[in-house]
Amino acid sequence: MILDRLRQSFALNPLTVKQWRRFRSIKRGYYSAVVLGAMIVLSCGAELLVNGRALIVYYEGELYFPTYGDIIPGSTFGLDYEYETNYRDLDAEFEEQDGDNWVLMPPVRYGPLENNLTPGYFPPYSPSFETGHYLGTDETGRDVLARLVYGFRIAFAFASLLLLCNYLIGIAIGSAMGFWGGVFDLAFQRLIEIWNMVPTLYVIMIVASIVIPNFWTLAAVMVALGWTAMTWNMRTSTYKEKTREYVLAARALGASNQRMIGSHVIPNTISVIVSFIPFSIATGIFLLTALDYLGFGLPPPTPSWGEMLSQGQKHIVTAPWIILSVAIAISIVLVMVNYIGEAVREAFDPKKFAYYQ
Amino acid sequence: MTSYFIRRLLLIIPTFIGVTILVFTLTRLVPGGPIERMLSEAALAGADETATTSYDSQGGSTLSDAQLEDLKAYYGFDKPVVVSYFEWLGKVLVLDLGRSTRYSDPVWNTITDRLPVSIFYGVWALILTYGVCIPLGIYKAIRHKTAFDNLTSALVFAGYAIPNYVVALLLLTIFSANLEWFPLGGFVSDDFDELSGFEKIGDVSIHAVLPLIAYTLGGFAFYTILMKNSLMDNLAAEYVRTAVAKGMDFRRAIFGHAFRNSLIPIATGFGNNISLILTGSFLIETIFNIDGIGLLGFESLVERDYPVVMGILVVSSILFLIGNILSDICVALVDPRVKFGSGDAGQ
Repeated sequence: MILDRLRQSFALNPLTVKQWRRFRSIKRGYYSAVVLGAMIVLSCGAELLVNGRALIVYYEGELYFPTYGDIIPGSTFGLDYEYETNYRDLDAEFEEQDGDNWVLMPPVRYGPLENNLTPGYFPPYSPSFETGHYLGTDETGRDVLARLVYGFRIAFAFASLLLLCNYLIGIAIGSAMGFWGGVFDLAFQRLIEIWNMVPTLYVIMIVASIVIPNFWTLAAVMVALGWTAMTWNMRTSTYKEKTREYVLAARALGASNQRMIGSHVIPNTISVIVSFIPFSIATGIFLLTALDYLGFGLPPPTPSWGEMLSQGQKHIVTAPWIILSVAIAISIVLVMVNYIGEAVREAFDPKKFAYYQ
Repeated sequence: MTSYFIRRLLLIIPTFIGVTILVFTLTRLVPGGPIERMLSEAALAGADETATTSYDSQGGSTLSDAQLEDLKAYYGFDKPVVVSYFEWLGKVLVLDLGRSTRYSDPVWNTITDRLPVSIFYGVWALILTYGVCIPLGIYKAIRHKTAFDNLTSALVFAGYAIPNYVVALLLLTIFSANLEWFPLGGFVSDDFDELSGFEKIGDVSIHAVLPLIAYTLGGFAFYTILMKNSLMDNLAAEYVRTAVAKGMDFRRAIFGHAFRNSLIPIATGFGNNISLILTGSFLIETIFNIDGIGLLGFESLVERDYPVVMGILVVSSILFLIGNILSDICVALVDPRVKFGSGDAGQ
């Protein structure tokens, strides 16, 4: 309903409306998009849902909102320490005191970096509703569910960043290659051919084993190796578009090259670009997770799916909940992303077959 | 046709030079190389920033001075770039890829030692993939939009979406760790040498089941959908309509006419299998602890055995190159319309 209203107020062009309708009619992809969209929105506010910090603390007539911002030392709430308050203990203590003070905790009461150790027992702890570790903990007592949620956010942010950079480079170089052709095209064609000859993941690992990787350098290395796919697609579709009459018409009207590419060719290749987005996201998540799994990815203690996979494999017999949780999470997310991709492609480029029997 | 092949083969040369330049550039990154020196100087300059992240996450051994000298001599760090490139290229052409710092064997021998295992998995994965995908694709094309078609589409897409190493880990958790139907990894059991002939086959097979599933599952979607779509394109073509209109039964129209033509796109990817066969997937080899080239590459990287790392990079890049050419030749063989240098836009 909201979407309907949005459409009215923005007055989308009829083709887009038609594509949107077609997309919605493909149930598998449409519901995946709804669920995944909700997951992304929720993960943006993950601090409010999965966190060791309380949402609201009511203490001596005053309200505190510790979720965002600086740490609040324990002494603020009458505890005998200066480091960050342990809100779970505070909650228990307030319960015990039975006074007016109260603590409102998020649904999952653990952060992704907290080690929660039970004296006398060695982690990993199995899933339990009593302790609030709904999916158990990993080998250092960190909550698996919390790490899953934050890992999802990081993986998605990373994949989106890769997508943005790869597409900017790809669209710029690719449309230039297709539009101008000639020596420029030929030179980049050979370059891309050579670039595609090397095993990407292996080269990223080599570079990551030598250069210290963090979020940004890792992204830079991956973009340096990953820009070719979109460039090639853009080249092909620009090549096709530039021979169409509307480009000729624009040229006859005296449009500059820039204008022809920017306002005519690229908008007409948008369907190609859009239909590649889900698959690029899937590739980004795949690459990051694989690197993390092998130990060449983001530095610890960043919550990451790949790191959880490798930990899970180590404890495959004693603590199967680690590997099962993360493997199932990855599978579900990537399957949804691919279903969306399949539906988008179908919506933009419906294949209608007729055959005779 | 002959001139097509000759021209295609001649095109290898510039690409080969390009690939070797790229790999050579990467060799400049290895320890003792100019890039590392630059980095360490930069690190010294900004010591405060990098001190906290001094990176040795794999616990990899730092190389001894003698090994560093070997690396320097092999890659020619002491000579001008152009000279050392051509010297290195000369060595690569006679398969002298340097000496492994870990095994102190020639790299080429280290790589070829692992070949049989990788080839075993590669060939079986190939047979399984084509053996399943072509019939499934045909059946799906005939039964387009039926429940069977939708269900198998959902399944193969799920198989495609889930990364092969996640599949491998899931299989390992369920069937090896919990149900204990299959071993936890390795190519053969420890007591392999004591087994009789039949038991040996059984032993290899039981170790191969899970890795092969993981290898092939991801490829199913691609080839099945490719087969289905191209067969449907052909079924919708005029010549099939003509054949059916003339009274040919549908079965013969499919297998006699449409099927042959719809194999063309499948042939396009055939050559690339060579690099898969030979280098495998190091993720899967790592997970199942299969002693193939993939695992060798990964272990060398962790142990910082750079001659082997670069050797594998050279070998797999060149294999990829050969694979592409094989694909082109396959396509030219099945599709007589292919002419070199035309129809560029459609690529």
